[in-house]
Order: sequence, then structure tokens, then C-alpha cells
Amino acid sequence: MLIELKNVNKTYNNGQPLHVLKGINLGIDKGEFVSIMGASGSGKSTLLNILGILDNYDMGEYYIDGRLIKGLTERQAADYRNHMIGFIFQSFNLIGFKTAVENVELPLFYQGVPRAKRHQMAMEYLDRLGLADWAQHYPNEMSGGQKQRVAIARALITNPKIILADEPTGALDSKTSEEVMQLLGKLNREEGVTIIVVTHESGVANCTDKIVHIKDGIIGEIEDNREHRASVFGTSTIMK
Amino acid sequence: MRDVLTEIWESIRRNKLRTALTGFAVSWGIFMLIVLLGAGNGLMNAFMTGSEGLATNVMQVGGGRTSKPYDGLKEGRWIDLDERDVQLTGSEVFADHIDQVISSVSTSATVSYGKKHFSGSIEGNFPARQQMDKIEILYGRFLNEKDIQESRKVVVLPEDRAETLLGNEIRDSGARMGTARNTSKSLGISSGKEVHVQDLLGKYIRIGDFSFRVVGIAKANEESNSNTVYAPYTTIRTIYGKGRVVDDITFTFHGLNSQAESDAFEDQFRATMNVRHRAAPDDRRALWIWNRFSQDLQMNRGRNILTTALWILGLLTLLGGIVGVSNIMLITVKERTHEFGIRKAIGASPWDIMKLILAESVTITAFFGYVGMLLGMFACTILDKTVGQSSMSIMDEEIAMFVNPTVGLDVAIEATLVLIIAGSLAGLFPARKASRVRPIEALRAE
Repeated sequence: MLIELKNVNKTYNNGQPLHVLKGINLGIDKGEFVSIMGASGSGKSTLLNILGILDNYDMGEYYIDGRLIKGLTERQAADYRNHMIGFIFQSFNLIGFKTAVENVELPLFYQGVPRAKRHQMAMEYLDRLGLADWAQHYPNEMSGGQKQRVAIARALITNPKIILADEPTGALDSKTSEEVMQLLGKLNREEGVTIIVVTHESGVANCTDKIVHIKDGIIGEIEDNREHRASVFGTSTIMK
Repeated sequence: MRDVLTEIWESIRRNKLRTALTGFAVSWGIFMLIVLLGAGNGLMNAFMTGSEGLATNVMQVGGGRTSKPYDGLKEGRWIDLDERDVQLTGSEVFADHIDQVISSVSTSATVSYGKKHFSGSIEGNFPARQQMDKIEILYGRFLNEKDIQESRKVVVLPEDRAETLLGNEIRDSGARMGTARNTSKSLGISSGKEVHVQDLLGKYIRIGDFSFRVVGIAKANEESNSNTVYAPYTTIRTIYGKGRVVDDITFTFHGLNSQAESDAFEDQFRATMNVRHRAAPDDRRALWIWNRFSQDLQMNRGRNILTTALWILGLLTLLGGIVGVSNIMLITVKERTHEFGIRKAIGASPWDIMKLILAESVTITAFFGYVGMLLGMFACTILDKTVGQSSMSIMDEEIAMFVNPTVGLDVAIEATLVLIIAGSLAGLFPARKASRVRPIEALRAE
């Protein structure tokens, strides 16, 4: 198991205590293409934050590649994020005053990779995603799809164990969404990248091989979707 | 390093006006600091010009007038020093501290060479005087032991007196404030062919009724011994029949390292001498004692106090600029919270973020501070060229208001350190704030 969650609990204590995750048990193997699906308020974003070591949890255990992720200092967490996890965000989260290639370079900068080396690597990745011509452009000069591809290149460049995608198509039109999901699928099939997509769109979830339904902080059904024939609304869930 | 600079440049470029305005406050602060210190130095240098050329382990004693009745004698009695005092000073009694003792006698006379002449004081003196008063010989030599033993009729002339004898206008002899005087004098005097003072060496001049050979030309000291003509002690004593009376006793000492030790020795010395002249041991007016060591200590203390006060004033001015930088950095941090969230998500540690803010703060402070420092030094140079050249005339004496009102390399280095520390301090709180925001909260911020 690459990722293993054992009875993970999380409660927010903002005035009224809010028990968001109520004992999550989940295992994800290397090379899987999984989606976590649920309505807003189901706890899927919280789960993603915990998976991405952006947030901590109260109870239970979380292992990445056999390593327990618990009680880390900010520095350790940053280091693990840097080496093991690649993020793709709904709103791309590119740094506006840096060019595409500079954005892609950034994770390597924090790994201490020399300037020339990281520039060369970033250009390679941009080229693979068909953005070599856009390397010197700033994010606000690019379309949504292009921005998301830059973000994907940035997520891939450190060769992480997991790619976490938080609503990767949320800000894109349906055609671009389709392209982005196909790109992720291709990366998964051809390069064996483990990808976890968090979404509330059943169409997006349908592109993945396994759909994990989460509802009210508990994992519900885990659907095998290798045939990509999941019902449009998902099973046993209300339409979003 | 280059990466850090690139990051800083990117950030500053986006906020040019804001950065420039804040930077101005820092520049202004350090500018004031440098100008204040420069002016302070100028003031102190003006005070010190008289004494800086003198050896500090020297005391000079002269006769005075008693202020207390003692031993059956009334106050107000004049006391003259004589050669027995010289012997006592150099005796076993003070051997612990006193090294070398000399004395001098002086007389007034008319000095002439050809048609030119002047009246002034002729001082009979010893070779050791040169060391004690740091008399600088421009040409020839000072008095020597042979002159004393053989009571030779030789003199050492100060440069300006020599010029007078040659009928030359006074040339710039390195004396800064001479400039103003030169112009005024050269207007009136039209000397034909100028003869160089060097040519006076070996020539005979008349002092009173006697011929003296010129053996040396001394650099004129603006303050203390400006116009003294030096001749051998024995010669003057013999010719002018001064008997045993001497004008002053001057001695070097050692082993007095603090104000307290110096004062104690001074009191002991005063008591011993006073009693010999039948004056009250604690009568401070019976003898006149000039302790250059304690004077030097006091001057230094005064200088330190002034410098400290100016530093405090300057730093307080700078503080305004620093607060400005801190403020700007806080705004920057607030604006960039989302960006920091992204950076943290992809692997920036808290220290990476802190470094970014600190480096920016130090760079802004150091750069603008440096500009301010250069402008300040430039202002000091202008001050030197204008106010530093002028002088005031008080009781026929030229007094410079400012002498060399500039700051040295040490101040420049100190100011640079201050800037770096100040920049770090200004960035510290904003940087801590930035580094402590949790990544999910930062990502949510807009």
C-alpha cells in the first residue's frame, strides 16, 4: 500500500466543535487513479488536506509508503510535501509574477537544485505538456487549460509519489476539463503516476479507475470503475 | 544568492513608489546621522587643534598668587618658581612618577634682520622641549645639548616670524585657516622678490643687542606656542640676568593611568611645592599646574559624550525610517499571504519564507541607507569646503568653527552594521508572521 489511512478522525474546534472525518479507513496502491467523490461538506476537502500534509488530524494513523505522517514540524511537513506530493489546484495557484517556466522550477528551487539544472528540467516538462512555446509567458497571458497544464508540470517535476488534484477541472469549461482529465489518465497509464482526484462532479470521477464515495465524514461505497461506466450521478448518491 | 536577489527585485518592482517612499525615510535617517556626526567631529576637532599636537604625559607648572593665608603670611602673595624648584621636582621625592624635568625663562626683545623687525618673546629652553610640545622643525634643527653647555647664541624661529623678517607675506604653511588671512594681507603688501625662509638658516639676526645665528625654522603652531622664538636656556639666563627664577617647570611622568591617580599625584606635588614656598598645601592658586593628561582625559570624555548624544539623535531619526520599513513589510506579507501558501504547499519551509521577507527588508534598508550615507558624506564634504574654511576672529585670534567636519571609515562601517541590524529588526516581525501562517489558511487567503 502506498497510502494507508487507519481510523483517521478530524474535528474542527471553531466555536461549535465540528466532527468532519469520523474514522476514515482507506488504502491506495501505487499506480492507482482514484477519485474521492462527495458533496460539499462531506469532508472530502479536509481529507485531501490531510493526504497532502497541509492539515493535521486528531486520531488514527496515516502512512505514505510505510512512513507515519503524524505530529510533524512545519519544516518536516514542507520537506515531505516537497518530495512526495504534487498538488494540482482548482484555481491553478500559479504565482502571478513568475513566468510559466519559473513556476515549474519552484519546487526544485526548494529542493536546492542548481539554477541551470532546474531550468532545463522545467523546460523538459513544459515540452512534454506541449507548452514549450509558452515558457516565458506569465500566467495571466495564458488560457485556463494552459495554466492547469503548467500546474501539472509543476506537480510532476519533483517526481512525487502521489499527485493530489483538488477539483482540477473546477475552473475550466467542459472541453478543457475533458482534456485535462485525459492528460491525467495518460500520465497514470503511461508513467504509472499515482493520482488522487477530489471532485464533486460525477463526470470527472468517471474518468478515474476507482471512485471512493465519501459522505458525512465516512467512506461509503468504493466503486471499481475500470470500465468507466459509472452512472452519471454515481450510485447511491444524490445528484449534485 | 542570485535567486534571492531575483525574488527581492520581483517584489520591489511591483511596488516601486511604496518602496521609494519608505526608502527615503531610511535615507533621511542615516543622512542625518552622518551629518550630525560629521558636524560633531568638526566641532571637536576645532576644540582639539591646540592640544592634539602635545604629548599627554606632560605637566607644566608656573608661578601664581596665593589665595589663602598660611604660616603667618597673608594671601595675595606672588610666588615665583626658581631653580631649586626644578631640582626638587627632579629629586627622589617624585622619582616614582616623574621622568624628565626642564624649565624655561623668557624675555621680550626686538628681533631684527636687515630692515625688518618684530617684537616678541624669546624663550630660553632645553632640547627636550621639542618632544614635550611636539615642535615640528621644518628646516635645520632644534636646540641641542651643545647649545646649552656652551651657551651658544643660536635661535629657532617659527615660520611666520621668519617670513616677517624676510618681508614675505605669510604663505600657506599648512594652516587651514590661513586662507582668510592670506588674502587680506596680500592685498596690502606688495613684496618684490620673495626670499625663501630656508635661506635664513645660518644667517645672523639681531635680538636686542646681540647677534644670534638661526639654526632652525619651526612650524608655527596656531594655538599654543605660536610665535615663540627659542634660544638655549643658559644663553638667555646669562644674557638677561634672570638669576635663579624660572618661568615654568615642565616634566614628563609615567604610571598615572586614571583621572584619580593623576589627581592624587597633582595634589601631592602641589602640597610639596606650596609648602616650600610657604603657601597652604591645598592652595590651588599658589602654583599654576597644567596637567595635559587629565585635560586630555576630560577632552576625550567630552568628545565621547558628544558623540554618544549625536549617535542617539541620529539613531532616533533612523528609527522613523525603520518603522516605515517594518510597516511596508507587514503590508507586503499581508498581500502575499496567498503566494506564501502556494510556496508552502509545494515545499517551502517556514525558514524559506522568513528568509524572503528578511532579505527584502535588509536589502531595502541597506540600499537606501547606503544612498543616505553617501549623500551624508557628500554633505560633510560640502560643509568642510564652506563652513570648515571660515573662521571667527575673537580677541585678535583666529578661531575655526569647524575643522575637518567629516566622518571616518569606522563610522561608515558602523553605520553599515546599524543598517543591516535595523533592516533585520524591521523585517523580523513581518517575517515571523509570514512564516507562521499555516499553508491551508494561506491558500484560502485572497
